Amino acid sequence: MAAKSSSDFDSGRAESNEANSKWLDAHYDPMANIHTFSSCLALADLHGDGEYKLVVGDLGPGGQNPYLKVLKGATVLTESPLPSLPAAAATFLMEQHEPRTPALALASGPCVYVYKNLRPYFKFNLPQLPPNPLEQDLWDQAKEDRIDPLTLKEMLESIREKAEIPLSVQSLRFLQLELSEMESFVNQNKSKTIKRQTVITTMTTLKKNLADEDAISCLVLGTENKGLLIIDPEAFTILAEMDIPSVPVFLEASGQFDVEFQLAAACRNGTIYILKRDSKHPKYSIELSAQPVGLVQVHKILVIGSTQDSLHGFTHKGKKLWTVQMPAAILTMNLLEHRSRSLQAVMVGLANTEVRIYRDKVLLNVIRTPDTVTSLCFGRYGREDNTLIMTTRGGGLIIKILKRTAVFVEGTGEVGSPPAQAMKLNVPRKTRLYVDQTLREREAGTGMHQIFQTDLYLLHLRAARAYVQALESSLSPMSVTAREPLKLHAVVQGLGPTFKLTLHLQNTSTARPVLGLLVCFLYDEALYALPRAFFKVPLLVPGLNYPLETFVQSLSSKGTSDIIRVLVLREGQGVPQLSAHISMPVSEGLMAA
Amino acid sequence: MGLLDRLSGLLGLRKKEVHVLCLGLDNSGKTTIINKLKPSNAQSQDIVPTIGFSIEKFKSSSLSFTVFDMSGQGRYRNLWEHYYKEGQAIIFVIDSSDKLRMVVAKEELDTLLNHPDIKHRRIPILFFANKMDLRDAVTSVKVSQLLCLENIKDKPWHICASDAIKGEGLQEGVDWLQDQIQGAKT
Repeated sequence: MAAKSSSDFDSGRAESNEANSKWLDAHYDPMANIHTFSSCLALADLHGDGEYKLVVGDLGPGGQNPYLKVLKGATVLTESPLPSLPAAAATFLMEQHEPRTPALALASGPCVYVYKNLRPYFKFNLPQLPPNPLEQDLWDQAKEDRIDPLTLKEMLESIREKAEIPLSVQSLRFLQLELSEMESFVNQNKSKTIKRQTVITTMTTLKKNLADEDAISCLVLGTENKGLLIIDPEAFTILAEMDIPSVPVFLEASGQFDVEFQLAAACRNGTIYILKRDSKHPKYSIELSAQPVGLVQVHKILVIGSTQDSLHGFTHKGKKLWTVQMPAAILTMNLLEHRSRSLQAVMVGLANTEVRIYRDKVLLNVIRTPDTVTSLCFGRYGREDNTLIMTTRGGGLIIKILKRTAVFVEGTGEVGSPPAQAMKLNVPRKTRLYVDQTLREREAGTGMHQIFQTDLYLLHLRAARAYVQALESSLSPMSVTAREPLKLHAVVQGLGPTFKLTLHLQNTSTARPVLGLLVCFLYDEALYALPRAFFKVPLLVPGLNYPLETFVQSLSSKGTSDIIRVLVLREGQGVPQLSAHISMPVSEGLMAA
Repeated sequence: MGLLDRLSGLLGLRKKEVHVLCLGLDNSGKTTIINKLKPSNAQSQDIVPTIGFSIEKFKSSSLSFTVFDMSGQGRYRNLWEHYYKEGQAIIFVIDSSDKLRMVVAKEELDTLLNHPDIKHRRIPILFFANKMDLRDAVTSVKVSQLLCLENIKDKPWHICASDAIKGEGLQEGVDWLQDQIQGAKT
């Protein structure tokens, strides 16, 4: 045992690096075989000996083998099997008597199991719900053998699809059966009265009448039946019952039951409902754009993690304060409360094997873990006040202790919003003209839009007409006639007075060569002189680029320039195939001379 | 100092006074150890968590010890460093059964050794690997490994397995401390 734990020490120490030097690696056991979520972790001094234990509602590998485990230090103190999967674990003080050892409550299925001194103390069952009258009627008929199992099955199925009130467990189980098993099941169960019971989805604690650390607390349960129940800690009676529009999955409570309290329930429909004392129904609701994956109350702010990989901060009245984007999906969240420094922060376990600690939207610390963390818990463990307990997807247990000297400083990590966002832009003041224009736009908006549209259409029309005309008169440097697709591209080189004019002529057809083309230059003879103003083009092989060079002599001494038009003609036709306008540059050589 | 005092000191009749700091995490057994070292008629029956610190005195064969029994609770640990200057020796107590907090003990020891008042002094440190009677206690060798005691090169140190409730191992440690202090003086 000693050898095993020491190897754990060594591996834990090797992982510590500069980034999480705030933490001491106390223990890491990748094979601890603990599979659970943050809601099923609780820390409490269960025996009243000053040594805080860890209570784990363990789902077992693959959710097969639920156990209640109590850990002391790095070792499991006790283990006891559970009848069904745990939904939540909480520790609370039941009564005022000394010694004030907290009781342990474990919600599982339709029951809350209460343990004192780690011995079973009480089992609270959720109240039964009225069964569906139609279903009741069917089973009554079955009892008197007036209905055969097959018809019963059909009828029950139709109820399941239509009815508002869901079926009982007995009927649901019946529907799952094979034909051969039905008869015996009906005979076995027909005399039983059908019961409908809901299950607990979440649980938290709420102080009863004192805000003290060691005051007695009520249990608050969320059920699959879209309800919230507050349970008295001594008599285990229902003190209050509330309805919400969806199934609660996370609960946060603040205040005291007898004075004023507030419940926040994150539900499966992506909405957070906030309820107060004396309100049977939600007072405020916060609609998220995605499903919630965690709910933590930090001071007066509700911090909600959503499936869109982001954390949101909301006030108790549902006003959104901030949003922080996470680098990966959020797996679990819990509260970090550092009492001696009066710091409250949110710990977020991410899918990229990081645990991030945020105070509001400021990142305080990042812990890298060897495996993805599925549950987090911070508090007094053993004799150490600031212990962080994490369990991993692979069933590992990581225990880290916050150094006594560690201080979380803001701004060490990345800051929530970039500094540019806070900078004030120098927006000019509104002028008289601006105001007049705005007024006019407001009044005559439709007319202005219509005029603009008319002009735009006219412009389109004119452009189209010009294009058609250019195509018809072959004014463009691209010929698109089916027989002779040609491309012309002209380049002028030189400073003057002599320029070199290169015409690049290309036959863009795939196979057909072009023969019998002529090139003709049209220019002002007072300004330019060309050796040949008219020549024949050789055979154009498809795809090749033919550079046709000619020299242009500028005659003007005044530094004027003009346009030379290039026409590509076909022998025996009057209309040019192609045309291009070449803007000649000013002759710089002459100007210098 | 009178002639008589000096004479008795020379003759060894009067014992030399040494200031010792007793440090360690809370619940490691510091007060229990000091209590056990006191003469049997001065021992108190029940030990409660120390608040702040307390000053205790006991004598060995040749020295008179004045011990500053510091509280090990987290919130009082920042008091320790104020007494480092006065201490001529340190007793560091470790709960051998608390494997989880061994890293915390190491952290506090490292802070102690790197403190400017301690760092450059050749001050003897006596470690008690306490609570040896408990079933899940690790050996003193393992404790010294976990605390990386082999890295302390410039100070004399010694680790003793002890059981403060029965008083086992305490005398061995005090004898070592006495030898060290006398060795340093002469």
